[in-house]
Amino acid sequence: MVKRLSDMPEVEAQHLRRIECPTYDATPLLPGKPLAGRRVAIVSTAGLHRRGDRPFQPGDGSYRIIAAETPANELVMSHISVNFDRTGFQQDLNVAFPIDRLRELVADGEVGSMAAVHYSFMGAFPPTAAEPHALHLAGLLKADKVDAALLVPV
Amino acid sequence: MGALGHFLERQGIPTTGISLVREHTETIRPPRALWVTFELGRPLGIPDAAPFQRRVVKAALDLLQRTDGPLIADYPEHVEEEADFTGWACPINLAPRPSDTLAAEIDRLAVWYDRAVATLGRTTVGVSGLDMPAAGRLIVQAMEGALPPAQSLKEAIDDLRAYYLESASAFPDPGSSKTRKAWFWDETILASTLLALQPRLAVSAEPQHRILANLTLIPATERYRLARS
Repeated sequence: MVKRLSDMPEVEAQHLRRIECPTYDATPLLPGKPLAGRRVAIVSTAGLHRRGDRPFQPGDGSYRIIAAETPANELVMSHISVNFDRTGFQQDLNVAFPIDRLRELVADGEVGSMAAVHYSFMGAFPPTAAEPHALHLAGLLKADKVDAALLVPV
Repeated sequence: MGALGHFLERQGIPTTGISLVREHTETIRPPRALWVTFELGRPLGIPDAAPFQRRVVKAALDLLQRTDGPLIADYPEHVEEEADFTGWACPINLAPRPSDTLAAEIDRLAVWYDRAVATLGRTTVGVSGLDMPAAGRLIVQAMEGALPPAQSLKEAIDDLRAYYLESASAFPDPGSSKTRKAWFWDETILASTLLALQPRLAVSAEPQHRILANLTLIPATERYRLARS
């Protein structure tokens, strides 16, 4: 079980410590409807996309679109990092991209609805490279009437 | 990841997220984060465990109601490490032989790959657009001195790694994901070829080759382990 960096094997912790994290002066926090009335989109940073889409490249801050009905067999991962497990994803898409779990929560009435389109970035982006794409994405989410984004790292 | 929370929430989209590295999230301070203690690469914890995964998703989504952030909630469930089958040996003899080749190894795995695809109902191979023999040839070509563009090489290697590890999951005794990864790095011709290729890429005049060599070819944990052994 992984806890804090100090509990990890030093070589892994060292790698993670070297990753530069951006800082922000203020954090915005929006109020919203109860979950049962919200429309949720998944925004992954696992470098996922459909087979045949442009793979991610180093420094790539753009996103790929994943329509809700995309068959699991069409999704591949082109994240540039090799420092995380991929066998879980190979076994079960949902361990990295919980699209079926979200679908079930909608069916159970716990979540209002699911976005028509979901998205993936490739998490090793420099924040400045991703920001313009994220701003564009916010407009697309609003157009899809999404009022909650579930951010899933890898 | 946390940066996206800032970007989207600032534009009017409420966000919540999963955090795999608490220290990073503490620095970035996104609006809402559910910190989990799972292995990197497995943000929902356990493959093929729908109820477990659903609880994680629900816990992350429940944070949307809170506006007292930036907040990090600690997820209470943990995942024990997979049982380590000490002494596990690949039941299929893939150990390199003097006359063996990467092409032959890739070919030997094909039946196991097909079996894995039939069992899993899907494959994650297919980033490069190459078939596996062609991906193998690209690596052989790199070893012979004609380095292909770094991006093409990376995509071919990613596909081959997925092909090998998916194949190994279909072996009669597949062990754990940890033992299969150790098998990959310790016993396959592909991994030994990648290890031999690394120093050549590291001295390439092309910066992208050097990035591949130094950061995105061999996992940090494997480099460390192999350097010690």
